[in-house]
Amino acid sequence: MEQLDLGHISLAIGFLLILIGFWGLLTQKNIIKIIVAFTILDTGINILIVSLGYIVGKTAPIVDNSVEQLENHNVVNSIVDPVPQALVLTAIVIGFGVTALMLAYAMKLFNAKKTLEINKFNDLKW
Amino acid sequence: MVTPIFIVAIALGVGFSIGVLNKLGKNFTGGLVLAAITFMTFISYQWFYAFTFGEQTPTYVYTAGFKPPFSINLLMGQYEAIITLMINSIGLLGGIYMFNSLKERGSNAQVVYLILIMALNVIVMTRDVFNLFVFLEISSIAIAGLILLEKGTRSMGAGFKYVLATSIISSILLIGIIFSYFITGTLNVDDFISLSISTYKGGAIVVFLIMIAVILELKPFPANGWGLDVYEGSDPGFSAIISGASATASLYVLYKIMAFAGVEWNYYISLIGIVTFVGSNLLGIKQENTRRMLGYSSIGQVGLLMVILGFKDILGENTPYIFFGILISHYLAKAGLFWLSGIVRAKGLKEWAVIRKKPFFLFLMGTFIFALIGFPPFPSFFAKWTLVMDLVQSGNIVWVAAILFGSIMEAVYLFRWFGYAIKEENKHLEDFKIEIHKIIPVWIVAIALYGFGYFVSQLTEVSSTINFIPFAFVILLFAIDFLPIFVKNTVAILGMAFYFYTIYPQLDNFRLIFEVIFIVGGILALIAGYAYKGKREGFYPVAILMYAGLTGIIEAKTTLEFFYGWELMTAGSYFLIIRGHRSMPHGLSYMLFSLGGAYAILAAFGIASVGQDSISMSIINNIQYIPTWAYALLIVGFLTKTASVGLHIWLPGAHGEAESDVSPMVSAILLKAGVFGVALTLIGMGAENNQYSVLAYTLGWIGAITALVGNLMAVFQEDAKRLLAYSSIGQLGYIVFGLAMMTHLGWLGGFSYVINHFLYKAILFLTIGAVVLRVGTHNMYEMGGLIKRMPLAFIAVLIGIIALSGVPPLSGFTGKWLFYNAVLDKGWYLQGAIMFFSGGIAFLYLWRLIHTVFLGQLKDNHRTVKEISIWFLIPIYTLIVGILVYSAKPQWILQPLAEIIAPFFPSNQLVWNGGTAISHYGNWAGTMVMAIIGIAFLAVLGVQLISTRKAHKVKQFDITYAGERPERPETTHVAYNVFEGLYKAMWPATIPLVETFWNKITNYLHDTAGFTRRIYSGNGQAYMLHIVFFILVTYLVIIGG
Repeated sequence: MEQLDLGHISLAIGFLLILIGFWGLLTQKNIIKIIVAFTILDTGINILIVSLGYIVGKTAPIVDNSVEQLENHNVVNSIVDPVPQALVLTAIVIGFGVTALMLAYAMKLFNAKKTLEINKFNDLKW
Repeated sequence: MVTPIFIVAIALGVGFSIGVLNKLGKNFTGGLVLAAITFMTFISYQWFYAFTFGEQTPTYVYTAGFKPPFSINLLMGQYEAIITLMINSIGLLGGIYMFNSLKERGSNAQVVYLILIMALNVIVMTRDVFNLFVFLEISSIAIAGLILLEKGTRSMGAGFKYVLATSIISSILLIGIIFSYFITGTLNVDDFISLSISTYKGGAIVVFLIMIAVILELKPFPANGWGLDVYEGSDPGFSAIISGASATASLYVLYKIMAFAGVEWNYYISLIGIVTFVGSNLLGIKQENTRRMLGYSSIGQVGLLMVILGFKDILGENTPYIFFGILISHYLAKAGLFWLSGIVRAKGLKEWAVIRKKPFFLFLMGTFIFALIGFPPFPSFFAKWTLVMDLVQSGNIVWVAAILFGSIMEAVYLFRWFGYAIKEENKHLEDFKIEIHKIIPVWIVAIALYGFGYFVSQLTEVSSTINFIPFAFVILLFAIDFLPIFVKNTVAILGMAFYFYTIYPQLDNFRLIFEVIFIVGGILALIAGYAYKGKREGFYPVAILMYAGLTGIIEAKTTLEFFYGWELMTAGSYFLIIRGHRSMPHGLSYMLFSLGGAYAILAAFGIASVGQDSISMSIINNIQYIPTWAYALLIVGFLTKTASVGLHIWLPGAHGEAESDVSPMVSAILLKAGVFGVALTLIGMGAENNQYSVLAYTLGWIGAITALVGNLMAVFQEDAKRLLAYSSIGQLGYIVFGLAMMTHLGWLGGFSYVINHFLYKAILFLTIGAVVLRVGTHNMYEMGGLIKRMPLAFIAVLIGIIALSGVPPLSGFTGKWLFYNAVLDKGWYLQGAIMFFSGGIAFLYLWRLIHTVFLGQLKDNHRTVKEISIWFLIPIYTLIVGILVYSAKPQWILQPLAEIIAPFFPSNQLVWNGGTAISHYGNWAGTMVMAIIGIAFLAVLGVQLISTRKAHKVKQFDITYAGERPERPETTHVAYNVFEGLYKAMWPATIPLVETFWNKITNYLHDTAGFTRRIYSGNGQAYMLHIVFFILVTYLVIIGG
């Protein structure tokens, strides 16, 4: 039986978080909870990105002493795929921006109607 | 040449520096932002110029010193140059428009706006899918951020829903992107193409995820509630940017993704597009809020553009022409409309009546609406034409039908809105203020629409032959609209006369007859315009627009030119009709029937062009592909203009409520355009061709029933102009019937009616219209005894009704005599009987017209009315001379007519011997008949005068009511409801079945729209659910199925 490695475990966790995130987005009525659901979704995607770039037994793609000390000095063979690592940084930043924007909306929406129930904000419809 | 990376660099540089420089004041930072966007526009323009006029090749820009996949690269190709130019230009104009509102929100808002425009540029240029994701997110955050900085709470909810929806969509996109990297090891679009990603294991799902996210960004129906809310709720300046720039960028992203998605996606993209186009436009008809309605329209237009992209392999090299033609029209017109909605500040559709207080704004609004619907001379007209032609030629007729249906729905709500703006009461509405910086962008886009229209028309060989001189004359009249009536009328008449003089040698006799009716008749009707006082603003440009269209269809050598003329005529006559009092609903129904007819004609032209190597008008003589359907579509299209039964419900109101000198234009003249079309179609079908005899037979019945219904309805009218309007329906029924016989005699009779109807209907409408101007009412029972005040008008009506009724000695008898012979020859006895029965009915309303209005007792309030205006009498009596000449010497016109008809329908049925016509059944000499009847008439008149010379004249008040107290004043009038007895006998024939039918269809559409739009519950979570369902359904259809 094939051994469960870190990559597969994190992949599964990533998908699980994505599903939880979607579930939360579609079922929670409180705007703050919806935003939390979004961050869970976002985290799930980030884990997914990292785990897809993971290669068993390789270290982080940061070329410092820990890599230099490797026996054969072959950097390429000793680190995981660096591209997803770079992508995830950007994705985190964007997720941060979106979350901040959502929270700012939550604040303004609460100030307007003194409630955080998403059902109450349906002035525009049809 | 400045490298496109500076578009990003400038925006970022200015954005960051404003953080430091904001102490210098918001005017300064705002100016800096505009300067930055100007420079970005310049960069795009420079590339656009190089691609268009130079030998520029597409150029890649690499970042960070590496080649992809290790770095991000941008591509500046021809399309990128065009699209970024579009985005930056609208960004610049929008920045000018929103200068003050951005300033109020602070320098942060100014920066965010700049970043939004930059992000849209990068979305277009980038070749890296992850970079695409990043900048899509930046643009979404920027839009949501700008909405967040707005005042008021209404837009807040919309902004939050927008953030939720776009973050779900971009999550899907991100998952797709990361898996695309996982299976291919690259993020580059060009690599995806060369590796053909969809062939990888799991590639189909990866492509699906990316594709569905991009499609969702385009707000497909029905997963688009979030987009609608933003259109409705946010500042109209942003709505303009979202509709113009953001949607344009997203469409280009779709185009990029399609390059590696595989051709099997094309069909589904078109399918989603058409559902969006039809769905949004259907729901749009239920909207009362302007901006939401515009939102529905925007989403619909994007759907249409998706259809075009999906068909790009079929449309081939015409794709860019069609795509950009429609895109540019939508992009400019919608931005203009959103901006207008911010200036006018009217929320409900009816409040737009306020725009009339500044008439120039009404012109801008009209420009945008006509450009959206695809009228000439706007780019969308040419694009839609090419789209329909190409789709029909590739056998996609069902798609054409769906597109045209969606377009009609869009016309329903846009023209209803426009009708409110023109006609709705506006006294109670507060005038709106104008800020100069908000006006300039609206102006620019309006001018650009006309400019691009001309430019696009010159791009293809077939459209460059269109004669724009009449249209240029319309613009001239628009420019001098501030002058008094006298000047404008003279210019219009001289212009038309000169144009007729230059054009008539080029026409064959068949076309010349119609050109004379259109242009000479038009000049006569215009002479009556001298009777009006003041400026009559807006009248002359639209009247000449109609005549420009009419002469356009006569001169047309290609089907495109014909359709161009047809649409100009429709637009002009719509404006003429809607000028009348209480004519708003009739103007709308006229427009919708006309558009429906025009689209039927368009589709038929498409079918006719299958298998032909040109689009010359002669192709309708030899239709190769499903010809019966094509001819049927043509006939239906033209019958909307002749107002034949079933398609006639617009006419009574439109003609009855029109102004006094407009009624003859739209009745005596305009209806002949439909006749011209029917005649062309029947010539195309050919006389001997039995293949279409069913079609001609049906047409004959339609004509006969139209004659009966029209005449019968005319009998029961109390309104003099409606009486004449219904009478026109009946008379046009005669003409259609005559032409449908497809014999020499039938056509001669039909044409005889064409000329006759033009003469007497112009006389009657002009006279009654002039009388109405004097007495101030249309109701016949409020008139009476006017013979004493208006003897000349009485004589005119008398001659008109004698000619109409078809009794000797006047020209109406000519047509009847020919019809008798034709019906006997053809053997259509039953239809013929109906025709002659309706001729009898005509006496009833004609008697009433002259008796009620001119005979009997003069009303108290009419004791001092004057004779009708001299300016009406001049054209009326000119036409009377025409009738008398035609009655006395019918052979002068009928013999040349017979020669015109002979090539199509050989003249073996009728022989001319001098002034005498000889058929199998007898002969007839117009001059002699006229002389005999004239002598008899004079003899009887003389006897009457002599025998009554000593009679006692009864004064008006020598009567009593015999103790009866009239309940209502009209019941004392002898002619009120005079045909009650006939009504009791005939009422089943007057049930408005047709109107009920159309009302039911209207109600059904409204109910469907009203029910369906409830899915947009306003709940942000429901909108997310729509998105999820949309993804699931699309997945099941495309991959799971």
